[in-house]
Amino acid sequence: MSFCSFGAFAQASIRGTVTSSDGEPVIGANVIELGTTNGTVTDLDGNYILKVGANAVIEFTYTGYVSQKVTVGAQTMVNVVLLEGVALSEIVVTALGISREKKSLTYAAQTIQGGQLTQVRDANFANTLNGKVAGLVVTNAASGVGGATRVNLRGNRSIQSSNNALFVIDGVPVDNSTPGQVGNDFGGYNGSDGVANINPDDIESISVLKGAAASVLYGSRAANGVILITTKKGGSGAISVDANSGVQFDAPLTLPYLQNEYGQGNGGAFGARASGSWGPKMNNQALTDWTGKSQNLTPQPNNVADFFQIGSAFNNAVGIKAGTDKVQSYFSFTNNQASGVIPGNTLDRNTVNLRISTNLSKKFSTDAKITYVNQMLNNKLRSGEESSEVMNLYKTPRSIRIEDMQNYESESGAPNYWTSSSIYMNPYWTINRTSADEERTRTTGLVSATYQINEEMKVLARVSLDQYTDRGENTFYNNTLLFAQAGGSFQKYFRQVQERNAELLLIGNKKINNNFKLSYTFGLADLARKSDFTQTSANGLLVPNKFDLGFARTLSVGTGFVERDLQSVFGTVQVSLKDYLYLDVTARNDWSSTLPAPHSYFYPSLGLTAVLSDMVELPSFVSFAKFRGSYTRVGNDAAPYLLTQTYSFSQGGIGGFINRDGTQAIGDLKPELTTSVEFGFDGRFFDNRMGLDVTFYRTNSVNQLLSLPLAPASGFSNQYINAGDIQNSGVELTLTGSPIKKDDFVWDLTLNYARNVNTIVSLHPDIKQTFLSSGYGRTAGVLVKEGGAYGDLYADGWAKAPDGQFIMDASGKPVLTATQEFLGNFNPKFTLGLNNAFSFGKISVNVLVDARIGGVMTSGSDANLAFDGNAAYTTAYREGGWVLPGVVKKGESYTPNTTPINAETFWTTVSNGRYSWGQLFTYDATNVRIREAAVGYDFTVNKSFVKKAKLSIVARNLFFLTKGKAIIDVPGVPTRKMWFDPDVNLGAGNYQGIEYGSLPSARSIGLNLNLSF
Amino acid sequence: MFMNMFINIYRLAVLSLLTAIVVSVSSCTQDFEELNTDKTKLTVLTSTELPYLFSKAQSASSYAFWRYQVAQNLFSDLYSQYFATSATYFPSDRYTIRFDWLQWHWIPIYTEAVPQLKTLLKETDANSAENALAKIMWVYSFHRLTDYYGPVPYFKAGEPASSVAYDGQKEIYYDMFTKLDEAVKVLNTNKAKTPYGSFDLIYNGDVNKWIKFANTLRLRLALRISKVDPAKAKTEAEAAVASGVMLTTADDAYMVKSENGGDFNGLAGISVWNEFRMSASMESVLKGYEDPRMSVYFQPAVGTGKFDGLRNGLLPAQLNISINGNDANSNVGTRWTKWSGSSWGGQNTTPQNIMHAAEAYFLRAEGALNGWNMQGASQDLYEKGIETSMRQWGISDAAAIAAYQKSAATPIPPMDGVNSPAMASIAVKWGTSPAIQREQIGTQKWLALYPDGIEAWAEFRRSRYPKLYPIVNSDNSDLPSGTFIRRIPFLVLEKNTNAAAVKAAEGLLGGPDKPNTPLWWDKN
Repeated sequence: MSFCSFGAFAQASIRGTVTSSDGEPVIGANVIELGTTNGTVTDLDGNYILKVGANAVIEFTYTGYVSQKVTVGAQTMVNVVLLEGVALSEIVVTALGISREKKSLTYAAQTIQGGQLTQVRDANFANTLNGKVAGLVVTNAASGVGGATRVNLRGNRSIQSSNNALFVIDGVPVDNSTPGQVGNDFGGYNGSDGVANINPDDIESISVLKGAAASVLYGSRAANGVILITTKKGGSGAISVDANSGVQFDAPLTLPYLQNEYGQGNGGAFGARASGSWGPKMNNQALTDWTGKSQNLTPQPNNVADFFQIGSAFNNAVGIKAGTDKVQSYFSFTNNQASGVIPGNTLDRNTVNLRISTNLSKKFSTDAKITYVNQMLNNKLRSGEESSEVMNLYKTPRSIRIEDMQNYESESGAPNYWTSSSIYMNPYWTINRTSADEERTRTTGLVSATYQINEEMKVLARVSLDQYTDRGENTFYNNTLLFAQAGGSFQKYFRQVQERNAELLLIGNKKINNNFKLSYTFGLADLARKSDFTQTSANGLLVPNKFDLGFARTLSVGTGFVERDLQSVFGTVQVSLKDYLYLDVTARNDWSSTLPAPHSYFYPSLGLTAVLSDMVELPSFVSFAKFRGSYTRVGNDAAPYLLTQTYSFSQGGIGGFINRDGTQAIGDLKPELTTSVEFGFDGRFFDNRMGLDVTFYRTNSVNQLLSLPLAPASGFSNQYINAGDIQNSGVELTLTGSPIKKDDFVWDLTLNYARNVNTIVSLHPDIKQTFLSSGYGRTAGVLVKEGGAYGDLYADGWAKAPDGQFIMDASGKPVLTATQEFLGNFNPKFTLGLNNAFSFGKISVNVLVDARIGGVMTSGSDANLAFDGNAAYTTAYREGGWVLPGVVKKGESYTPNTTPINAETFWTTVSNGRYSWGQLFTYDATNVRIREAAVGYDFTVNKSFVKKAKLSIVARNLFFLTKGKAIIDVPGVPTRKMWFDPDVNLGAGNYQGIEYGSLPSARSIGLNLNLSF
Repeated sequence: MFMNMFINIYRLAVLSLLTAIVVSVSSCTQDFEELNTDKTKLTVLTSTELPYLFSKAQSASSYAFWRYQVAQNLFSDLYSQYFATSATYFPSDRYTIRFDWLQWHWIPIYTEAVPQLKTLLKETDANSAENALAKIMWVYSFHRLTDYYGPVPYFKAGEPASSVAYDGQKEIYYDMFTKLDEAVKVLNTNKAKTPYGSFDLIYNGDVNKWIKFANTLRLRLALRISKVDPAKAKTEAEAAVASGVMLTTADDAYMVKSENGGDFNGLAGISVWNEFRMSASMESVLKGYEDPRMSVYFQPAVGTGKFDGLRNGLLPAQLNISINGNDANSNVGTRWTKWSGSSWGGQNTTPQNIMHAAEAYFLRAEGALNGWNMQGASQDLYEKGIETSMRQWGISDAAAIAAYQKSAATPIPPMDGVNSPAMASIAVKWGTSPAIQREQIGTQKWLALYPDGIEAWAEFRRSRYPKLYPIVNSDNSDLPSGTFIRRIPFLVLEKNTNAAAVKAAEGLLGGPDKPNTPLWWDKN
């Protein structure tokens, strides 16, 4: 929450104190002289001073309270008691940091206060947004603590570009690129993202602008919606200190359902070197096992669960505010330390933040901020079917003792493993003998200056620089399958990313007459982005396991360099009639270096809001009613370097190779275009005890820049085209209520509901479908197909006869479908979040229930558990006699299947481990869970040195209330319930809906202590 | 006082800030073109870059590292039964057609060999050695491609278009003969030149060797069409031999490989993954003949110390049995991979086998049986082929080679998991009837071509030699047990991107677009 003081041009000075109904001072309440731009905020004791003109009416507003208007008259002292309630004239921070009354907005915006994010924590704060905003879907990459997240608002609109919401801090967009997301089910390491660097303790509030409405001000990156973060600022008056200390413990929320009857082996016989659990019943029989010792064959029910450890996270933050009338400062330091549920996977992050705001003269104010983040991620986890930690673990036969596994290395440095594999290894080898570490240093600086030209107009200039360097090292010990060359392998990379924003804004408002008011913003902006990447790989090490480039047998180097510039002119004008009818008109023109001359594209928008409750007399139970509608167009430029045909140099042969790049250049590249229309209603009822905010929207993204396959015989494998029309339409609904509101007991609830329907209206005149990523044969692929929906998954399946019966071959085995089957869509049909907040005196209780209904996810881990005979459901028909109900095709006729098979034959037919019939391992991703629960006790003692003290016990991902099941029931096998958490995906890119060797999500319980001095 | 100074400095700072913004915002779009030029790449080619293009085309046409697996090893290397799949997760050994892997025997040729070769053909003088080498590499690339699929886009290849027409295999073969003839003519007038120098990864710019290479390739193609077009085959074969084919191992074509950029010897690069082992077919023949090449081609199984192979087409449940496991069967020889005691170390810089003199002798031996003038008698050429192959693989003991040439030994049962009989009953010693002699030539050529599964599968389809085992299980209803795969159907990639052309190509194929439809030159 912030309010820009426009300076004072008035005669009389009034002062006073703003308190809440329980006598506590209200800090930071807005005090505004109505009809002017004159205003201030209350200090830490709730005091304010304001010079006002004659006949002034001042309004006191504070988020969460009912505002009050007071006619000053002859008073010099105005004390006000604000009553709690749902704020109507709430101030919302909108694009470019401009505060506006929420009631004037022509688009949907939802606000979250900082406190809602700091109680229940995650190493990447974006994960804590889940369930709190209607229409916001967060999934995270399976790469352990600090991994990237995908934050999507209102569905996916771009086929190949990012569908992530834009994050903006204090008016400045942050680079939230998610480099190196795993985009196929083979897997790899996911990069972190920019949002993970945001320190939740510095957040004052968050506004979520769900549609493209902010695009005119932030440009095309805002087309996926904007998450506006306002950070804390200094205040004048006494020094205040906020300290927060938290500790949290994590354990895996979900693990596979495993069988504990049959031991290592094949065909019912024990095999000391077998990879799976198709061996004999474990009856304590003595056998020589893989260790070479004679041990009894006994179930090891916890050999998977015990591999995990209790993760922990500690955060300590201190924030200091101090200042005078002229200079205010805020300083904070935060340390986060987390270790994940897999040993070795850690995060250590230090954030220093300094902000200085000045009011140097009546007309001149400045704001400067510098944030420094140092983040160290150790032992990032792999995801995917390749030798990831979790995949290696899940492949452990059910009779392997964990203490034997822990002996992962022979004296000669060779890996100890129970089977010979081309890719899988002992998971203890993986965590001890491979590593991926990444250090990020990020500095974000912001300077802005405001000059008040006159009462109605000010100029704001702002320059921000966001720069970070990633320094990574990957090590693979000698003998690591798949990744190590002779002596071991080592890679080192540097990535430097720089983003500079410069803006010049003219902001003003004008009262035309008593009925009409005008406010406007005009601006110029320049956005320069640059990234530079170098990766050096040692192809083998001359001295084994000496991990430095100096030991390399040979080196290979990869580089990347991207530079682009975007210049813009924009303007927005709002006309208001009697403060109940608002019309917004905006327009923007961009010039992008990535487009062909004249580099230019233009996009306008239009919005209208009517506050019905101020226009006409409504029934008394309606406290407030507003209708809004808007139409927005957003243009978007493309990636750089697409206009001219390029040739790449690569290492190899004697002197290297030069190859014409497989993608044909597009000289006549056009900007993408998204149009959106939204209508909404915002109403408060029964003295604000109940609120309803509902939005209907439709967006169409056309002219998308797509890289589509081209017949390779043309010499090119891909071409860029501008095509396609992706439509998203949906509804978002937020219902708030206070069913009980007594002095000693308050119950507030918030319900968020969102449904999005996506349609691929058209793709290309010649090409009607393309894979986002083909999971061919491994799991499932995401096919973008005309008439389909974004996120449709296809995979191999079990063939069915025309009458719907399963088909078997002559030997009784299932038959593969001729073509890939449609499985479902990875997006939820709808999402629901229900937050209940109770407060009984000093105790507050908060419970967030989060539901994701519909959507499917395919699990590659599950396919491996089936193939290896580790899954609980593989125990049926181990001894044979399994006659699958269905038919056998002979010529063109079908006869009933009568041939029995056994479980091993069945499960090794439908899954070959790494490759599988994805349809059989696809689950309905529906789930309802207790997302968050917190109990807080406020033990503040009045008038003591400690102004505020609150202790909370917090929990995240407590348990599931319900979970989906497999989309195919295998006859003779009990219903298979989804055992994994669909929040965790392979990566945070557009290839969603796939679980493969993914780290289980965490159930967390923690303690949080918040003190203010 | 202090405050005033502070304010003044601040004012100054802000004023410069404002100026900076105005300047940067109004700097306009003049430098956009330069800004939008990728510094990590080239946008203009000069004559300096041409050798690099040639290197790329060579490397792309004979696959490095993982592409070798998906283009060749998971298909033709199995179809020719040099190897059998030991991994449970690869169904291609049971004739499951995996188009997503197979497209790697398509995309590299068209997007990495063809564009560079077309540039070279256009940018170099038609009578230069550089131009001639580009033509030879064109033929080398395309004959391996067309022999998988049949009709492929050829005459219009590399011309940017949304649809590229396919050409019939006959027209393609005729043009390949023409190109080789033209290239040799040009090379004969440029014998002192060293085209591309060390960027020629095969012969280091040695024009005389390239002439032999081109003629041997021409001879190979002539034999390929000997059943469908005997007259043309005779003409081309005799012209090739007259012009001079490979004679000794000094003429052999290998390609330089590098540790850098993943430009590994293909077979070496993938040999560390434990996904294939010696086939029972190789075991039956090499063991039966007590062939000295056994210990060069393969090495003893790490679990048993013995040479062992497994049959093609086993089910996952069969592969899970230990006798079919990786530890119990032979990996490729130490030329490609070495066992450290716990894992395999790929010999990634081992030069890749491209084409060898031994093959030329077997081609001539068969041509002589056809009554063509091959400048030698069939038996002599056959025996010379055996000797040259032995020498190629480092076996120089003349007495041992002579004993082998006269051996009456025949293939033996491989003692595998499915109790296979001996693969065939043919002996090494030159037989008495043309039928036996043809089988002998085919069997010995199969042994000599190792590990080039692309060529071996093509020659098996044409000649039906050697008499390979049927695969144990087929997952493909078009190829029931006892039948052999005849071709790769047109790629799904092509059906998605070049649909009309694929449809038209079915007419050129002379049968349905199925794996059991024979190619033009396959008259079995």
